[in-house]
Amino acid sequence: MNLSLVDPFVLAQEYPDTLTEKLSSGHATCLSFNHKGDYLASGRVDGTVVIFDIETNGVARKLQGHTRQIQSLSWSRDGRYLLTSSQDWKCILWDLKDGSRIRTVRFEAPVYIAELHPFNHLLFVASLFEDQPVLVDVSSTKPIKRILPSAPLRPQAPDGEEVDPAVAAKQAAQDAKHSTCVTIFTAFGNHIIAGTSKGWINIIETQTCTTIHSMRLCNGVVILLRLASNGRDLLVNSSDRVIRTVLMPDLSQLGIDLEPSAIKLHVEHKFQDVVNRLSWNHVTFSSTGEFVTATTFMNPDIYVWERSHGSLVKILEGPREELGVVEWHPSRPMVVACGLETGCIYTWSIVSPQKWSALAPDFGEVEENVEYMEAEDEFDVHPAEQVHQRRLDQEDEEPDAVTLDLAKGDGDADGVEPFSLPVLMDIEDSDSGEDVVAVGPGTMRRRTPGAGREGVNGDTEKPAANGTSRGTTRSRRR
Amino acid sequence: MDRANPQPRRRDPRAQSPAESSSDELAAGSDHDEAERRRASWTLQKGFTPQRPQKTSRLYSESESPDELAVDADEYWRSSRMRNRRRTPSPITRPSVRDDLSQGRSDDPEDEVTGSDGNQASVADNWSDRSATPLAPPQPPKPEHLNYKEKFVMHGHLRGVSAVQFSPDCSMIASAGADAAVRVWDTASGRLIHVFEGHLAGISTLAWAPNGDWIATGSDDKTIRFWNVNTLKAHAKVFDGHHNYVYQIAFAPKGNILVSGSYDEAVFMWDVRRAQVMRSLPAHSDPVAGIDVVFDGTLIVSCALDGLIRIWDTHSGQCLRTLVMEDNPPATCVKFSPNGKYVLAWTLDGCIRMWSYVESRVLKTFQGHVNNKYSLSGCFGTYGPRDVIYNPPLCFAVSGSEDGSIIFWDIVSKQILQRLNGHKDAVLCVHTGTLRGKRMVVSCGADKTVRLWEEVNENDTGSDDDAFGRDVTPTPECHSRKSTPTHDADGDDAMTDVSAVPSTAANPAEDVTMT
Repeated sequence: MNLSLVDPFVLAQEYPDTLTEKLSSGHATCLSFNHKGDYLASGRVDGTVVIFDIETNGVARKLQGHTRQIQSLSWSRDGRYLLTSSQDWKCILWDLKDGSRIRTVRFEAPVYIAELHPFNHLLFVASLFEDQPVLVDVSSTKPIKRILPSAPLRPQAPDGEEVDPAVAAKQAAQDAKHSTCVTIFTAFGNHIIAGTSKGWINIIETQTCTTIHSMRLCNGVVILLRLASNGRDLLVNSSDRVIRTVLMPDLSQLGIDLEPSAIKLHVEHKFQDVVNRLSWNHVTFSSTGEFVTATTFMNPDIYVWERSHGSLVKILEGPREELGVVEWHPSRPMVVACGLETGCIYTWSIVSPQKWSALAPDFGEVEENVEYMEAEDEFDVHPAEQVHQRRLDQEDEEPDAVTLDLAKGDGDADGVEPFSLPVLMDIEDSDSGEDVVAVGPGTMRRRTPGAGREGVNGDTEKPAANGTSRGTTRSRRR
Repeated sequence: MDRANPQPRRRDPRAQSPAESSSDELAAGSDHDEAERRRASWTLQKGFTPQRPQKTSRLYSESESPDELAVDADEYWRSSRMRNRRRTPSPITRPSVRDDLSQGRSDDPEDEVTGSDGNQASVADNWSDRSATPLAPPQPPKPEHLNYKEKFVMHGHLRGVSAVQFSPDCSMIASAGADAAVRVWDTASGRLIHVFEGHLAGISTLAWAPNGDWIATGSDDKTIRFWNVNTLKAHAKVFDGHHNYVYQIAFAPKGNILVSGSYDEAVFMWDVRRAQVMRSLPAHSDPVAGIDVVFDGTLIVSCALDGLIRIWDTHSGQCLRTLVMEDNPPATCVKFSPNGKYVLAWTLDGCIRMWSYVESRVLKTFQGHVNNKYSLSGCFGTYGPRDVIYNPPLCFAVSGSEDGSIIFWDIVSKQILQRLNGHKDAVLCVHTGTLRGKRMVVSCGADKTVRLWEEVNENDTGSDDDAFGRDVTPTPECHSRKSTPTHDADGDDAMTDVSAVPSTAANPAEDVTMT
């Protein structure tokens, strides 16, 4: 409702510029916004998952179940379910309505990344450390795991021709070396995009778990794949220090307009720092997909490129530590990133100055002095009653105070039943950033060694005094 | 606290229903006299620059008020009044002036009616006339009046009741007032469910959390407290931070943020989970009397006794718009419309104005009630048959009045749809709700009662032509009522089944046949 009043120049600004907030609750290592963008889930080193309320910057819920560092977080579309994966070889699906665990799935290896199907929260894909990626169906209590292929799709030999056994053996040996590092669903979930350690991108059909297309993108390991909100643009971070944006065909047309053989992935941009040869820790698209953001290795900066020309538009600065995971808010120009050293979550957004004309109705903001022209009747004195009556007589419109403007298609338009996270009145977030103290500019020290590795359930809460003092400083800073 | 504190000796005996006298005069055709008197009242009103009756009346309450908090705060306000050079009304002369004003003003809605219709007939005829003439052909005729009937009178509060609200599912009613207790009532039966006690001074405001589990109350003891309806326990954390009376509170739609306006001139946004102030809005230079949050939570509106209404961005905490009438009458309550496009603002010049805040413009002015002393509060609501689609949808604004009535206005025509009488003293708060398809209104007032009114199918009622809106004589109940006679008026907390006692509710004219 506020859009009609907000300064259009502020609205037109598409990327953030100022470090505005620092959230901390333990040592966060990964972040994820829900689709609506009002909650931010953060996974901690100690296996706790903390969900922040973006509106209050307070902790909305804590989930305890993992015993080691959280690797990835994935929200269901309605924001009710959260899938977490951890180095403790487990994935947990949480119901945020009451904070309960719906499913716990064990694997034979630590989990790199697990992602929920975009429409079915009981189906997810997980890429495992030095193991085959799996598609896991948890619709029943006993999870059904299906192993996904890692080997690239080789062109089929034409009929009738003999395949040279030596070549075949060599290929098989090569294929065996492929391992999948990252798997994500496409926008509709019909396909899975997998990135391998040899720099290949495989497109796997979810239904059949067979590879329908493969393409060699680079020489390095594919570290991360991200899909833009339009579902067609793919962002690839690989170990060759290049970030690529890849344009994909509309895979939902597969079998209708598009043959699997006709799939072509087209590299649009390659973002890299040729001077410093920086490598990139983590990458993300902006909410609209127009910008690409990356955190840099051994460097506290966040780079923002725009995609139309492929140029660097902004370097976000602020914290003095190297940053890990970076996420872009799903609708606002807001970037969050977590510090590798302190585990704090930094927030960049746009700070709009107070418009002074908003404070008094008869003020206007002008660029330069304006010659004031007095209206002919400006200082005519009318009887107050007459003025009042005239005013009343002019009130002849037919206002509609009930009907909502739903033209924008906010949230529920796509048929998702809205879920609202319950407001927990007894949540304590006092075990926050206090275990890391700044001892000088840019240097931090861990106050209690071994802290942040608490038991599964026994969350050692600090005394409430911590929380109060932190709260007052926060409110004072505003 | 003022509005929760009935002060009988401040009530002017002449402060009867103003519409009664004025419309009679209008009917008699004494146009000249009326205009004369009206002008006189306006010049008088102009002579006295905008006042703060809230503060002046507080001087009176000093002796009666049992709590010490009120006393030293009075001291504060007296001194603040001194340093405020503009406002020097004499509290003794004011009531008479206000009375003139209200009489002079109160016929404006009728003027409006005749003006918009070109119908110069008296108001008494107006109802029947209008009902006979349908509106534009494609639209079904709009109902000309509402038919709310008193269902329960809930006794139990020891002093004036300042705030009442339906729970989000309307199954319960919470009320609170000067006796510092929160009472929760069952909507269906009118019975008392629970009494929450804990505040150290009178309660001015209450709000249900959107999930219906909690009631938040703001009190003159400067705190906001939370009460759990399920466990019937108070929340361990007290929202402490205001330096003076908490005047009005409102929840953001998700329930994670509570906004409060206080006599200390601040607007606080509270993080409900942590019970801490999240952000303080540098709001006003006078006590903040009203506050509301728009349905999607992106905007906050606040109003203060200096007459300013400010619209705030929830996310950035910045003021986006300021609305003010030129002679800034003290603004005591603000409410967003259901679709968030408009703001309804109560001011102590006896008007309720509907602002389009985007255009900074008053769209409608509702008059006919008496409001020069208390912070009255009201609500939007919908009416009309559900199976007919109107464009725009039929919507009313409802407010209490200091003469003890509750008035419904159509927001398009500004015409009074119904005037409910029953309360014996000022009606301080009105809230609308729907339970099992029945539209209801709950009201509370300085007469220590909470009253529930239910919309009755018009075809059930007997006809009662000339009485609508002005009838103060008790009318015997002539229609079957769906009240549950489960409880006799025996205890202190008992509800009274009004079918047993002669009701003072007026019956509207019954000559419109509804589909």
